[in-house]
Amino acid sequence: MQKNLVIAGHELKSRLFLGTGRYPNPYIQNKAIEASETEVLTFAIRRVNLQDPHEDSILQHVGGRYFQFLPNTSGAKNAEEAIRIARLAKASGISDWIKVEISKNEKTLLPDPIETLKATEVLAKEGFVVLPYISDDPVICKKLEEAGAAAVMPGGSPIGTGLGILNPYNISLIVEELNVPVIVDAGLGSAADVTQAMELGADGVLLNTAIAKAKDPIAMAHSIKHAIQAGRLSYLAGRIPKKKYATASSPISSGI
Amino acid sequence: MTKQVLIIGGGVIGLSAAFECQRRGNQVTLLESTKCGGQASGAAAGMLAPYCEIEEDPDEFFLLCQKSLKLFPEWQKEVKKYASMDFEYNNSGSLYGIFHEADILGLETKMSWQKEFGVGARIIEGKELEKKEPGLSKDIIAALWCPEESHIYAPDYVKALETACRRLGVSIHDQLGMLKINEHNGQLTVLAPDGTAFEGDTIVIATGAWSQMWEEIFPYSFPVFPIRGQICAYNEIEPTNHIIFTSQGYLVSKGNGTLVCGASEDIAGFDTSVTEKGIERLEKWNRKVLPALHNKRPFHKWAGLRPATQDGFPLIGKLSEYPEVIFATGHYRNGILLSPITGKIVANELEGNNNPVPIERFNPERFITL
Ligand SMILES: Cc1cc2nc3c(=O)[nH]c(=O)nc-3n(C[C@H](O)[C@H](O)[C@H](O)COP(=O)(O)OP(=O)(O)OC[C@H]3O[C@@H](n4cnc5c(N)ncnc54)[C@H](O)[C@@H]3O)c2cc1C
Repeated sequence: MQKNLVIAGHELKSRLFLGTGRYPNPYIQNKAIEASETEVLTFAIRRVNLQDPHEDSILQHVGGRYFQFLPNTSGAKNAEEAIRIARLAKASGISDWIKVEISKNEKTLLPDPIETLKATEVLAKEGFVVLPYISDDPVICKKLEEAGAAAVMPGGSPIGTGLGILNPYNISLIVEELNVPVIVDAGLGSAADVTQAMELGADGVLLNTAIAKAKDPIAMAHSIKHAIQAGRLSYLAGRIPKKKYATASSPISSGI
Repeated sequence: MTKQVLIIGGGVIGLSAAFECQRRGNQVTLLESTKCGGQASGAAAGMLAPYCEIEEDPDEFFLLCQKSLKLFPEWQKEVKKYASMDFEYNNSGSLYGIFHEADILGLETKMSWQKEFGVGARIIEGKELEKKEPGLSKDIIAALWCPEESHIYAPDYVKALETACRRLGVSIHDQLGMLKINEHNGQLTVLAPDGTAFEGDTIVIATGAWSQMWEEIFPYSFPVFPIRGQICAYNEIEPTNHIIFTSQGYLVSKGNGTLVCGASEDIAGFDTSVTEKGIERLEKWNRKVLPALHNKRPFHKWAGLRPATQDGFPLIGKLSEYPEVIFATGHYRNGILLSPITGKIVANELEGNNNPVPIERFNPERFITL
């Protein structure tokens, strides 16, 4: 029996975290969410109608089913802004989970590690379930864990690029060194990228563009669901070591 | 060489294709199941606002929209001239209003990539914003100002297009019921429910949200489906100076004194009714944008079916196995904006001319059946 992912005492059957942005229309969005079997949906707080979340242009369409919402602070340029946005989201009652996302550069949208650490510390103390989006640096990831992050979300590559995992070595170090779950976030472009993340030992992945902007988002959602299972199983099964030269797969009989 | 062109569908797309093809010397017959402009096209808010609409990607769709926006000044003049009718075309510009400081980064990202395409937009706030749009809620902390965006009064525009087509000699047959295409010995015929048959050198498919039906005759997948838009209008209200966009909807003042506010995106099949819930949601939000609406109720509510597609791109171009068939559908939220460019592409495809923007991404055969 495979164990389910647990974050802050909350058990999740699916290891996929899915973004709600950029879908061509609500019908495709709903079908893709359904096909992916995700239980965690993420969205930018600034875009949501916080007074009436059920009337929001995006969230209204996912009503009727149970999801763990993971609102994010995207657009925040420093810890102070992120904290302010997080408190707004919590006060509205949509969720006490928060994905801390802080960046200054409008071209790369790479996370600001120092501000992210600050915000994580404060929000964790306030009782939020904090999942920071961060660069793939093992040192800062460990510090985020120590600061109280419930899970840490290193990026494979910049948001929306589909460049996949640029530094697999770092991701595997992060997996090795952290006790809290590691969710690879950002830059994953296809099933292969997702399988790789899971084979490296990630506990889950967060995707948005790869599914929302695929030619067939529903088919891609199916594909990602299977990729997660394939990668996870492969990781648990234990891959063979890599060797330089061939080894015959049917051994030459030694005894005559 | 004059070609006999059959166009199925009398929305803004079918009419624009008819207008352009006929103007270039072809003989067009336009076939409509109910009445021209009676579906999505007559329901639209008429915004020509690609810079507000497209947030993230400088892709082929953006280029298509931008090209069409640039065609509009000349195009609308031509339509007015041939129709001998006037309609509102207003270069008001637009304001994309935001409520959170965290939205600034998003606006900056958009502004920075759009700038490379020559879009002149600017973030304005404080006194400048107040001066430009005094009625705006003080909760709107800043706005992206796009001076090039415009709007048109869609119902009148569509009527003028229809009139222009008739005066140019397009033969328009409406109230036909749903047409079908029959193939016999490699010859395609368009058939009305009463048995009337229409033949031509080329068939243009401009059937909006109903376009999935063509999977019956052609061996491709056409994932086009309706997404209902509910929309409403107020009267006796101080007009705004710009189109006003927000994350939840838009407002635009029309020359006839009404303020049009839209629109929902509902999954409701082919149902075009208006729901209380849908309109109340708009009303509630509108009051947050324009406080003057706090004790106002819309005097008019309606809905239309946008032709949505699986990947968000329209289907425009010829079928390879049936080169006499040209698709022009799936324009979703931007069919009014995209009407001039689509009309021109259809005419170019008909005549074998080059297109001013790449259309490969819109290939109607791109969808596979799993
Ligand atoms: C509320 C709302 C607001 C909108 N606002 C804007 C906006 O501000 N700016 C913008 O650019 N776009 C806007 N749109 C989108 C725009 O209206 C559509 O993209 C556009 O009208 C599509 O045009 P069309 O000709 O493809 O479809 P339609 O106008 O729906 O026309 C299709 C026609 O084909 C006919 N037909 C279908 N099947 C058959 C058949 N088998 N035989 C014969 N006839 C057939 C139908 O009767 C119909 O008349 C809005 C849409 C809605 C609903």
